[in-house]
Amino acid sequence: MENVIEVHNLYKLYRVGDSVVRALNGVDFEIHQGEFCAIVGTSGSGKSTLLNMLAGLEKPTKGEIIIGGQHIEKLKEDELVSFRRDNVGFIFQSFHLIGTMNALENVALPLTFRGEGRTSRLKKADQMLELVNLKKHKKHLPNQMSGGQQQRVGVARALVVNPKIIFADEPTGNLDSHTSEEVMKLMQDVVRKQNKTLVMVTHDDHLATYADRVFHIIDGEIVRIEDNRGRKEALQTLKEEKKEKKAENKEQRV
Amino acid sequence: MSIIDLLRMSIGNLKRRKLRTFLTVLGVIIGTASIVVMISLGMGLQRSLYEEVEQSGGLTMLTVTGKSAGDAMTYYGGEEDDTTKYITDDTIKEIAGVEHVTLAAPVYEMSAYALKGKYMGYINLIGTTKEAMEAQNMPLKEGGSFPKEGGNVLELVYGNGVLMQFYDKNGGSGYWETGELPDIDLEKDSLFLILDVQSYDDMRYGDGSSGTTHTAKKHVVKASGVVDGDVETYTPFYYSAYCDVTTLKNMLKKEFSGRVIPGQPSTKTGKPYKFFAYSSARVKVDDLDHVEEVSNTLRELGYNVDSNIEYMESMKKQFAIVQAVLGGIGAVSLLVAAIGIANTMMMSIYERTKEIGVFKVLGCSLKNIKQLFLLEAAFIGFLGGVIGNILSFAISGVINFVVGSAGDAMGMSSGISYIPPWLALASIGFAVLVGMVAGYFPALRAMRLSPLAAIRNE
Repeated sequence: MENVIEVHNLYKLYRVGDSVVRALNGVDFEIHQGEFCAIVGTSGSGKSTLLNMLAGLEKPTKGEIIIGGQHIEKLKEDELVSFRRDNVGFIFQSFHLIGTMNALENVALPLTFRGEGRTSRLKKADQMLELVNLKKHKKHLPNQMSGGQQQRVGVARALVVNPKIIFADEPTGNLDSHTSEEVMKLMQDVVRKQNKTLVMVTHDDHLATYADRVFHIIDGEIVRIEDNRGRKEALQTLKEEKKEKKAENKEQRV
Repeated sequence: MSIIDLLRMSIGNLKRRKLRTFLTVLGVIIGTASIVVMISLGMGLQRSLYEEVEQSGGLTMLTVTGKSAGDAMTYYGGEEDDTTKYITDDTIKEIAGVEHVTLAAPVYEMSAYALKGKYMGYINLIGTTKEAMEAQNMPLKEGGSFPKEGGNVLELVYGNGVLMQFYDKNGGSGYWETGELPDIDLEKDSLFLILDVQSYDDMRYGDGSSGTTHTAKKHVVKASGVVDGDVETYTPFYYSAYCDVTTLKNMLKKEFSGRVIPGQPSTKTGKPYKFFAYSSARVKVDDLDHVEEVSNTLRELGYNVDSNIEYMESMKKQFAIVQAVLGGIGAVSLLVAAIGIANTMMMSIYERTKEIGVFKVLGCSLKNIKQLFLLEAAFIGFLGGVIGNILSFAISGVINFVVGSAGDAMGMSSGISYIPPWLALASIGFAVLVGMVAGYFPALRAMRLSPLAAIRNE
């Protein structure tokens, strides 16, 4: 399978007073096309730093990041911006919708940056809102929507540019557990259907189970990579078996 | 991002904070208005100067004087010392022969009395040629014409303020005291004109001590025209009456035959010269570029030369100073407004740090971010410039209305404050520029904001 992201020997060092903090301490991994990956770690483990570097928001101290065959650690800031514009969708923890724009305009915003015409971008945004089941709310301003709805707008905004990769930084961090489940399911669903690569950062082990692969990161080093796909399929079959059993039981009762 | 999207977003942001935008714009309005109004005052002064110059023959007209002759109210300050030459018919011919001179006309100024019924008026009589009068752009009331050349009867063109010089012979009070104009229709009525003022005075006051036995002749004169405008309107031809110089000369020679015409040079024994000396000569030059050349030539010939262009030059310098001072006062307020814009933009950027960060993460190019803020600042400047100009026109109108009558008396027929179209456009452009300059550093700052810091969850 094609590697969308390759990270080689990545280091990020911060100077805090006299001491040096190693936020990332030699990280190596690959992420394939169409994969849903979760980076899991506690606060201060370096997971957010890693994500920011993948998205080109932060420069590594050492190492290589290759996204879609492009070395992004060497790009200048304006090149990074255009790289993000063309390749990356971003989902934020606190949604970061523009308060003065309604849901539709918010979703269309990244297309505006691409210089796309008003009618075509609003049409695309409309389709995206339909995808995240928010068609009714498209004229609503962010403060007229619940957190879950806002994050769904955020997901739509990340998807609208049809990016190769979507980065999500604690996408459910500001949501209650029930809404979190909804949003996670939506993301999982969309990624599957559209065959996108999604990289999510979270501290929640449970949410990480939605991902195909889970990278556990502790003190700037990846300690374990968990592959859920096999297990999920097993779970799936288990559930189906249960359902079948239930159905059988019902039939028996009848 | 397309320019329309940039504009829409900038204006949207300004709308978001209406009061703050309004206050910032207000600063620019005041700044622009003060600059425009201040400069408009200077422009008004300058325009009235131009009009005056235009009326007195434009920039190509020269006044040549020699040794003082005539008996005029006006003097060409202190020129007697410089030259010994009189302006005579020969001089006129000489001047007319100079290259680039299209017109050389003698001018003779003298005082005279005009009588009509019980009224008597003191008149500054100016004799010149028809061509010179035409060249001076003298505006005549409809139906009027310039005096015929070389006629036997003196025809006059009255200045529009001449009537003010009349007073009641018996009562002695004139227009200045009573505010009433004498009941004389200058256009239609015939007047008696007294050229021999000295003899007439002797006769009136019954003082025969001077021993003269001359009787001042009363010449019947009619108007050939009257200068357009009433006594309230100032024109350069206000006080004087104009007539044909040749006719005047002949009449004077007849009246004073054997004597020296007052104001004319005489020999040491008190005899008149053969020639007739004029007060001055009006000379028209074919082109503006040759004015200086001709002036110099005439000076070399030994005459004094006054040209409007020299007057203009010196006035222009003065006006430049006046305008610079007035504009400077206005500029200070625009500077304050510029600081206001910079402050507003800074505030706006602090408020929108997060938004800018999100824009950057979502792929808004650095150039676009800079443009976004620059446009916002420019728009504040533009709005302030436009409204400021509207306000300026209103203020200018009020000023002209308030000082309107005073302005007329001072010769500013078209108002003391004048905003030419280029000033309006330039000031709007300047306000936009000020906005952009003020917004430049905030915009740069917005551009350099780290997206990471901007979107970090606090």
